[in-house]
Amino acid sequence: MVAEIFHFQEQHWHLSPQRAIFWEEEKALILSDLHLGKAAHFRKAGIAVPAGIVQEDLFRLQQLITQFLPERIIIVGDMFHSRENNEVHYFKLWRQQFSRISFDLVKGNHDIMPDAVYEELQINVHPALTLRNIHFIHEPCEDNNGFAYTFSGHLHPAFVMHGAGRQRLRLPCFYFGRHCGILPAFGHFTGSASLDPEEMDPVFVIAGKTIIRAQ
Amino acid sequence: MQQRSGGWKVINNWLGEKELKPFKFQQDAWKAYLQGKSGIVNAPTGFGKTFSLFLGAVIAWIDAHPKDYSHKTKNGLQLLWITPLRALAKDLGRAMESALQELNVPWQVGIRSGDTPVATRAAQKKQMPEVLIITPESLHLLLAQKEYPAVFKHLHTVVVDEWHELIGSKRGVMVELGLSRLRGLCKDRLKVWGISATIGNLDEALEVLLGPYHSDGLIIRAKLKKNIALKSVIPHEIENYPWAGHLGIRMLPQALPIINDSQTTLIFTNTRSQSELWYQALLREDPMLAGALALHHGSIDMELRIWVEEALHNGILKAVVCTASLDLGVDFRPVDSVIQVGSPKGVARFLQRAGRSGHQPGAISKIFFLPTHALELVEAAALKAAMEQDLIESRMPVLLAYDVLLQYLMTLAVSDGFHAHEIWEEVRHTFCYQHITEDDWQWLLSFLTTGGEALGSYDEFKKVEREGNFYICRSRMMAMRHRLHIGTIVSDAMLKVKFMSGGYIGVIEEGFISRLSPGDSFTLAGRNLEFILIKDMTVLVRKSNSKRSIVPSYQGGRIPLSSNLGRMLREKFNEALSGNTKDPELIALQPLFNLQEELSHIPKANELLIEQITTKDGYHLFVYPFEGRLVHEVMAALLAYRISRIQPITFSIAMNDYGFELLSDQPIPLTTENAKQLFSTENLLVELQTSVNSTEMARRKFRDIAVIAGLIFQGYPGKHKANRHLQSSASLLFNVFKDYDPQNLLLKQAFNEAFFYQMEEARLRETLERIAVSRIVITTPQKLTPFCFPIKVDSLRDTMTSEKLEDRIKKLITVNG
Repeated sequence: MVAEIFHFQEQHWHLSPQRAIFWEEEKALILSDLHLGKAAHFRKAGIAVPAGIVQEDLFRLQQLITQFLPERIIIVGDMFHSRENNEVHYFKLWRQQFSRISFDLVKGNHDIMPDAVYEELQINVHPALTLRNIHFIHEPCEDNNGFAYTFSGHLHPAFVMHGAGRQRLRLPCFYFGRHCGILPAFGHFTGSASLDPEEMDPVFVIAGKTIIRAQ
Repeated sequence: MQQRSGGWKVINNWLGEKELKPFKFQQDAWKAYLQGKSGIVNAPTGFGKTFSLFLGAVIAWIDAHPKDYSHKTKNGLQLLWITPLRALAKDLGRAMESALQELNVPWQVGIRSGDTPVATRAAQKKQMPEVLIITPESLHLLLAQKEYPAVFKHLHTVVVDEWHELIGSKRGVMVELGLSRLRGLCKDRLKVWGISATIGNLDEALEVLLGPYHSDGLIIRAKLKKNIALKSVIPHEIENYPWAGHLGIRMLPQALPIINDSQTTLIFTNTRSQSELWYQALLREDPMLAGALALHHGSIDMELRIWVEEALHNGILKAVVCTASLDLGVDFRPVDSVIQVGSPKGVARFLQRAGRSGHQPGAISKIFFLPTHALELVEAAALKAAMEQDLIESRMPVLLAYDVLLQYLMTLAVSDGFHAHEIWEEVRHTFCYQHITEDDWQWLLSFLTTGGEALGSYDEFKKVEREGNFYICRSRMMAMRHRLHIGTIVSDAMLKVKFMSGGYIGVIEEGFISRLSPGDSFTLAGRNLEFILIKDMTVLVRKSNSKRSIVPSYQGGRIPLSSNLGRMLREKFNEALSGNTKDPELIALQPLFNLQEELSHIPKANELLIEQITTKDGYHLFVYPFEGRLVHEVMAALLAYRISRIQPITFSIAMNDYGFELLSDQPIPLTTENAKQLFSTENLLVELQTSVNSTEMARRKFRDIAVIAGLIFQGYPGKHKANRHLQSSASLLFNVFKDYDPQNLLLKQAFNEAFFYQMEEARLRETLERIAVSRIVITTPQKLTPFCFPIKVDSLRDTMTSEKLEDRIKKLITVNG
């Protein structure tokens, strides 16, 4: 897995095909929309989606941590899918391996568990977060909000490419809009929505084990 | 027997008073019924097929109670009458009630369907009527009630009406499962009868109805032939480039005289969107029709549909534009003409629709065929020939539908629970599940109890509890959800459409609405509507004055050509080519054939035509086996797969009933030298599987399966917020199953459905064998031909690729660069 280094806003952003960004200057791993506990939530309601998705998602996160050795992990919302369930407890055990790394959650619309639970999981919860004038907030902003740049999630973006012979390809992507960048959904059990980006805005698609700049 | 039966006499006297005599097949049916047999009555509509069985049951009742039959009431449910359409129930009930009244038999006739009011249901629970008319879904709902066996304590007869309509579908499987339970409850006293129009595999239909191990079922044939007069409406001008896109509207002026000259006309279209367009266009063309023209299709509000049906009955309407929603049973006497817009794609369907007119015995059914594009005229000629030769299609029964079985097991779990041994015996004696293995069965049970492959202590899966061999669902919440879910054997999530100010209009596919933005206009139930917002699973709209509105297209719209018709079609092309045809349809098409021959070639019966054309879209390869859409879809995938092994290449695939297209951004390496090899039957099974797996076919099949098996959460009324966290699309589920649980039986079913039925492997093999002994003609026309045009403009496409993902992306980036 080779990350693509994108120099942007005078910072170095390592875009990983594992659906996260490593921010070199801040030693921070940035990701969004994990939706931990989603499969368990379904299964509790009698909908037999496969178990084991959470293990895979967290294993991927573990690999990213080993690769980049971040000091903090910023989650731009929707870390957990719904109410507390056993997958949340699984996360708690998993979390203990990385007790020195701080987890900063920017609250998303799915993050509805009581404050005490996050405290117990050693997760710092913020309505929004700003570092080096770079702003993190779950839902993307349309206009200039006064910060140098903003990162969001929420949309689970995908990019559609058309070509000769009526070919069409749709892939998850990192999108760098004028004011706001949007992260791909990290969780595997999440859908995606097609973006319609401005022509000049950088878009990086995730093509299996590589990152390719699509525009 | 006739002499000894008092009941028979009563019936004969009653008929005699009306100066009627029973048909021979009715008497045959009564006799067989009185002998305690089961079977199928095969008769066309309009000849009293209902009475062949209903009166049989009445005769038996009178015989059993000769002294007190005229005042014996509250006898419990005797006769269960399963009908595929709710609309049929009322009509049927009325006919039975009036017969019973005149015969002085005080039986009650009840109706049980999605529309039955709660109060009526409660009353039925207390005292079941002697006759209950029910849909397959409502039968399963009865089985989902606590203490349901009590309902069937006196039941001795089940009749499945319009069995030919049910047999090829998963609703047919619901009937099979329902019958298996009723047999288990009623044991040997249960007689099961089907009523079916003529289909190619009537013997098999009997086996499906009675189970593959039945011993004494019989088929009673009416041997009555309906007189059908088919006339093609030949366009004044034949276009050289036939295109289905305008849906036949251009032919509308030629339809008006037919409507004017008839008392009442039914105008059948193949899709709901087409019916909406036709309705609007007819009103524009002839404003005098306002008030006398109605629209009828499956997405229209029930009440409105019932109104249309009543109005048809009473002869108030001049014409009704409709879809398959009016295919069945109901007897509309005033209808004396039927117009079929576009190809009906099958002989049986065409006969059924023709039979909607001239519903009285002996009357002639008049049907007009109105082509939506010129090539369909060949289909009309083929239809005529097929009708003359009685080439009627088979309806293939559904096999191993794990999704329906999961739904059924849950149904039994929410009522009284079930003993696995008992139900296993019943299930494996049905036709659908005769080849189910013990392993499959155990998998299904564990899917309900542990949610498939569980991960020990972390798992909180909850649905059905297991107590030894007894399975039961004790969660009231889940039971309620399941009951609401039964009957969702529909393909797409449908949303209700309502006016902002209140007032229900109909339902619409979620997929369609999701492409609209607020302010867009669309057409439903013949009205122009402006989309405002979606709230609580309801689409809110207001009236729109916009001239431009989008007509929703529905997924279910494309009916594939049957194999019988395909064969006829090839013969007709052959005939057209010979130049000495007498068919007016073929004569009219001569200019088009001339152009095809000039630009390319018209294939003879022993030839396969392949056209290679280059346009600005890329490199096209058109192949014309004339085998129908389903076979073409798989054949195209197979050919694409085989070519893609020669070199890395990406195809976009399209097809219609005549042929298919492979389109690529690079020249396609198919030549006279390798053509035969590319169509060979060598390694067929393995390569088919690989090619089907690498397209989206199985994913599309999985949609239905996920809904039926209860994986798609449909929500319950009044609890929307909390449910949002349980929403997911079938496509996403398909992905996670593929990645995390590839052995899942539902996934396997999706591949099987794409693989076995869809492609009808036997039919494909036959086609390939035919090609093996045919001459392959490859032409390279300089421009598009009449044959290829309708395929090229089709937008529904699949993809097959052997290129590396990165290479594809890089190419796409360069193209757009």
